[in-house]
Amino acid sequence: MNRATFIIPLFGFLVIALIAGWALFGMLDGQRSDNQLPSALLNKPAPSTILPDLDSQQIDLSQFKGHPILVNYFASWCAPCRAEAPALALLSKRIKIVGIAYKDRHEDTQKFLTEYGNPFGAVLVDKDGMAAISWGVYGVPETFVLDSSGTVLLRHAGPITRKVLEQDIEEVLEDLKL
Amino acid sequence: MIAEAGHLFLIIAFALSVLQIFVPTYGIINQKPDMLAATATIALFASGFVFAAFLALMHGFVTSDFSIALVAEHSHSSKPMIYKISGLWGNHEGSLLLWILILCLFGAVLAARFKTIPARFKARILGVQGVIATAFIAFSLFTSNPFARLANAPLDGRGLNPVLQDPGLAMHPPMLYIGYVGLSLAFAFAVAGLIEGHIDTLWARWVRPFILAAWCALTLGIGLGSWWAYYELGWGGWWFWDPVENASLMPWLVATALLHSVLVLERRGALKSWTVLLAILAFSLSLLGTFIVRSGILVSVHSFASDPSRGVFILAILLVAIGIPLALFAWRGPKLTSAADFGIISREGMLIVNNLLLVSSAVVVLTGTLYPLAYELANGGKISVGPPYFIATFNPLLALMAIGMAIGPLFAWRNQPLGRLRRIFSFMALAALVGMISYVFGQNQTGVAAIAAAGIIIWLVAGIIADIAVRVQLFKVPVAHSWRRFTGLPVAIHAVTVAHFGFALFLFGAVADSYHRSETIIRAKANSVIALPDTVMGQGRYVEFAGVEAREGPNYITQTALLSLHDKNALKLGTLTPEIRRFPVEQQTTSEAAIRSRLSGDLYAVLGDGNQTIGWTLRIYQNPFIGFIWIGAIVMAFGGGLAMVGGRRHKTTNDTTS
Repeated sequence: MNRATFIIPLFGFLVIALIAGWALFGMLDGQRSDNQLPSALLNKPAPSTILPDLDSQQIDLSQFKGHPILVNYFASWCAPCRAEAPALALLSKRIKIVGIAYKDRHEDTQKFLTEYGNPFGAVLVDKDGMAAISWGVYGVPETFVLDSSGTVLLRHAGPITRKVLEQDIEEVLEDLKL
Repeated sequence: MIAEAGHLFLIIAFALSVLQIFVPTYGIINQKPDMLAATATIALFASGFVFAAFLALMHGFVTSDFSIALVAEHSHSSKPMIYKISGLWGNHEGSLLLWILILCLFGAVLAARFKTIPARFKARILGVQGVIATAFIAFSLFTSNPFARLANAPLDGRGLNPVLQDPGLAMHPPMLYIGYVGLSLAFAFAVAGLIEGHIDTLWARWVRPFILAAWCALTLGIGLGSWWAYYELGWGGWWFWDPVENASLMPWLVATALLHSVLVLERRGALKSWTVLLAILAFSLSLLGTFIVRSGILVSVHSFASDPSRGVFILAILLVAIGIPLALFAWRGPKLTSAADFGIISREGMLIVNNLLLVSSAVVVLTGTLYPLAYELANGGKISVGPPYFIATFNPLLALMAIGMAIGPLFAWRNQPLGRLRRIFSFMALAALVGMISYVFGQNQTGVAAIAAAGIIIWLVAGIIADIAVRVQLFKVPVAHSWRRFTGLPVAIHAVTVAHFGFALFLFGAVADSYHRSETIIRAKANSVIALPDTVMGQGRYVEFAGVEAREGPNYITQTALLSLHDKNALKLGTLTPEIRRFPVEQQTTSEAAIRSRLSGDLYAVLGDGNQTIGWTLRIYQNPFIGFIWIGAIVMAFGGGLAMVGGRRHKTTNDTTS
């Protein structure tokens, strides 16, 4: 066999290492985010979620079934969440929004809502971020659109930018005839 | 105190594994035999100290010492003892320590036993192993110290992710790690062999038990993982082509190829460089798998413990641990020449086909797993490669493997005149044809893929039976003679039969489930009847839903649905109680599927959400023969175990029967 044949495995490995390194370092310095990440939940029923609201009343997310909803994980300590507040305000005119406060202090959440407006039809509290695990939430803000049967139609990680609002979310809302 | 001692033990083990690199190197260069003997002692001590460190951490988990950050994060005083223990490896730091422990124990076994391996070669292997141990202990000490204390110990812990509180998952990581780490020894053998220029039939004989042990553990580990995903995730499926699952499948595929090619090397002295390459690749893919799981560069349903910053460390380990051996292979590989000559139509030829198919399938899985990254690199967009890709590429390869597996063992070494096998092949083809026709008419099956799959399974089973029949000269000599021949067959032959039969069982379960399963999703109120679709498991079956009640578990409260299964004559077959468990400590709910398992298949029920007035969502799956998937995996691993026994008993005798 040719000597060169024996270099192929090394070469193949270096290509893979390059791709992996690029993905990793891109992620570390934030160049590569997880927007539009394919979600394991897509087209599957949303995980059953029962969380207290700000008045400590247990709320079962499934009670919103019958209408499409938008689920938004947010936190007062998260800067991009402030940036997307106007987008949520716009969306709240077309679809019911359920906010889930992620690892946040009660009074901070309240303050955040008075300062930046409250677009949410309901606010649930995920104090330990444990519900977020079952949703596969990568970090706040993160947005899901559920149809009336509670099936996840869209997942967007990161703030809702103009592009995301006008293209991705718009497309789903149109499909839902909203 | 004990945690600090554990930390100290790990530091000592680190120093010892550094010694384990340099002492044998110095001893070999300066030709000092006592240095070579000392290497084995160092390896034994290193594993002793890692074991002590592991016990120290275990003590923290068992006694719920919440001043240790790891225990506070991942345990809770109200947890059952088994999950306190398994909590140790239900997280990144602890599972890394378990990984290191298994690595060092394998090294200790090699150091203490296997006296036939020359001291110099053994020292080389332990030296290579020392490099791996050093890298991983450094990883643990410098980035993921499991013994870190909290300044203010909390009163109670945060608990283990409830999804991970499960007996199947308690055993899954240890099995998988034994597999991965066992492959590290094959890897160390390959690197040592390349350095020494010593790859021959003896080398193959030494390394084979380690490959087999790793392969058995990997088979069981993957089986456990898929079983867990099946009953715990509540999606009714058993394999999702998820990056983390693929990460464990790739080493398995290459290890399977390795375990066949090393047979050729041991018997015929051929495929030297190829076998060495496979040994390097099998462990490389294990490391790559670890990297994918831990770094979070790919999104997975299983990523419970990912952190990109740790990925940098693993990537560095990856570059050194895979890059250098592959460079060594490119340099030394061409010098490994094989003298054996054999025809293409021979056992060797069939084993090469087997290797090409297995490696191709590993490449297919690797491509599908990394393609989203490559695509993103090239086009900037995100995509996800899902089951359609894998079904279209992997399944045909699997089918070819099954077809070849049926006839491979019938081929003689060196050269096989095909004419002699013609009668056997026609018998096998006839069996497959009869099976396919009865399948078409018996089940009204019209799907081409399903019919082909059925034919292939029957062809495979027929091939396995034919192989034994030929060996015992069934019906050519009196039956009593055949029986004596059968009991006299070498264990190694039985090992092949059992392992291949296990694969047939697996295939049967997988195929039956994918073509005959049924799924019923319904919203039902209490005291209603849910009709089930007709399947091979039964016709006219239905489920009665009595309602939902609250129950209390050790560290959770439930909503439990009461279901009972009835056959078409209204005879009650059994009850099912799928639950939603709410863990107050972790503030999380999990859904527990209820499964009624029979050999003929599983009835699988999941409770969704709902309430008294609108009713509850219920998902009910009928999965025919699905249990054979895991029975098959156990039988395969058992075959691997027999091969280990057979390899020890028949060190000198040759298999001349075929």
